[in-house]
Amino acid sequence: MSQTFSSRWGLILATLGMAVGTGNIWRFPRIVATNGGGSFLVAWLVFLLAWSIPLMIVEFAFGKRGRLGTVRTFRLFAGERAGWMGGWVALCAAAIAFYYSVVAGWCLRYFFASLVGELGQADPEAFWESYAGSGSSFFTHALALVLAGSVVWFGVRGIERVATVLIPLLVGMVVILAVRAVTLPGAVAGLEFLFRPDWSALGDVNIWLQALTQNAWDTGAGWGLILTYAIYMRAREDVPLNAFLIGFGNNAMSLLAGIMVLCTVFALNPGAKDEIVGAGNEGLTFIWMPQLFAQMPAGGLFMVLFFLALSFAALTSLIAMIELITRVLLDAGFTRRKALVMVCFATLWFGAPSALSLDFLHNQDWVWGIGLMVSGLFFAVAARRFGVEKLRTEVVNAEGCDLHIGRWWNFMISVVVPLEAVLLMVWWLWEAKVGPPDKWLDPFGVETVGTVLVQFFIALVGLILLDRWLLARRVEARSR
Amino acid sequence: MSATALLFMFLVCGVVWGGFAGLLLRAVRREGRKP
Repeated sequence: MSQTFSSRWGLILATLGMAVGTGNIWRFPRIVATNGGGSFLVAWLVFLLAWSIPLMIVEFAFGKRGRLGTVRTFRLFAGERAGWMGGWVALCAAAIAFYYSVVAGWCLRYFFASLVGELGQADPEAFWESYAGSGSSFFTHALALVLAGSVVWFGVRGIERVATVLIPLLVGMVVILAVRAVTLPGAVAGLEFLFRPDWSALGDVNIWLQALTQNAWDTGAGWGLILTYAIYMRAREDVPLNAFLIGFGNNAMSLLAGIMVLCTVFALNPGAKDEIVGAGNEGLTFIWMPQLFAQMPAGGLFMVLFFLALSFAALTSLIAMIELITRVLLDAGFTRRKALVMVCFATLWFGAPSALSLDFLHNQDWVWGIGLMVSGLFFAVAARRFGVEKLRTEVVNAEGCDLHIGRWWNFMISVVVPLEAVLLMVWWLWEAKVGPPDKWLDPFGVETVGTVLVQFFIALVGLILLDRWLLARRVEARSR
Repeated sequence: MSATALLFMFLVCGVVWGGFAGLLLRAVRREGRKP
């Protein structure tokens, strides 16, 4: 019998740690600010219930019933020939882990630089430009990987222990930062901007699609990470209430981060607010936030807290990604330690191009961000193949459940989630279809349609061939 | 801050944070009843 979480709270904290990542802190405030503020929040809440929570329930149910990594879970629930779909989910998580480790390294570097006062003395733009894409970035990528890998080394108990310490600290730090931001003179303009609803903006389809994307990217639903942690649930653990808790907990943190960032921006530099929120994830976090903290009384201390919170958020998410890939290898017969060493070396190697080139990192973020929508679709397909009603009655609402899930969930998983996934993929690719075909079809472009299609094609063909080969080997072994 | 924004802030924060707190309370109570 493999290890299990010692309590429900261990599972919830570890899963919250997985869900709350840099996307909550650096992406959510930017996306709210550029998509109508209050109106966006309405759409964001709708998709929490129409995308994230239904998929989280599927993942918890698959993990609890199957107790297997993504590849074998898909074989179990969607049929012998569906292992490649689980392979796709694992591949997306691995591809994201490769560059996410670099991002976690950035956060650690900025935490250290703010702690020793290096950041306060430097010009933030020059500091960022000399660091990103350099050998130092590769070094911090390796450091983040060593920290996350050493937690996974101890299995689920190691993950639980770390989450039990880091997540309450992360929540505490974000609360302190949000309170500080709200009490700055002029911060009320940030609250007004964040919460002023413009009902006419709800007719804008882009706001709805951005809200759906935010849910798909920052809650961790449909990534296979919740499934991986659910493998270690206790036997009579609840599924639905835990899924709702993680969904609401994640969005509660996003809202705090939104208040923290937007109040800080509006209080300290209202004239540059459009430039700040339009500066991209890295621009906002690593160039603008240090400048804003420098203008704040006791800003050095708050800057340390900000980058420490960001480091904790990134590391706990990276730990989940590494555990997912390790678990797939465990299912294939490797020992945990051997599997983990392989995963860490692969992440170090394949993450190196992202550490040394921002364009490469942005390309991978673009391609596998869309890949996640395919992952979400695959989870819905697997649930349909198994039988959505059967999954609801036999696993979701089984013994130990603390919240009864009605038939609305069947409709969400069978119809709404697949439609949303397809719509999102088409919309993002359509948005990227600008200029002449040789531009948007360029397979070597950073954020082009061509690069997505080529990388998806290679990945899918590889996975299907690998799955057929593994299946043939199993049939041959059985016949012997 | 306008009254609409204030009202909307209470509504959104109430749903998100209040929802999370309510779910957490339910989980604590249920967990307490389990053997």
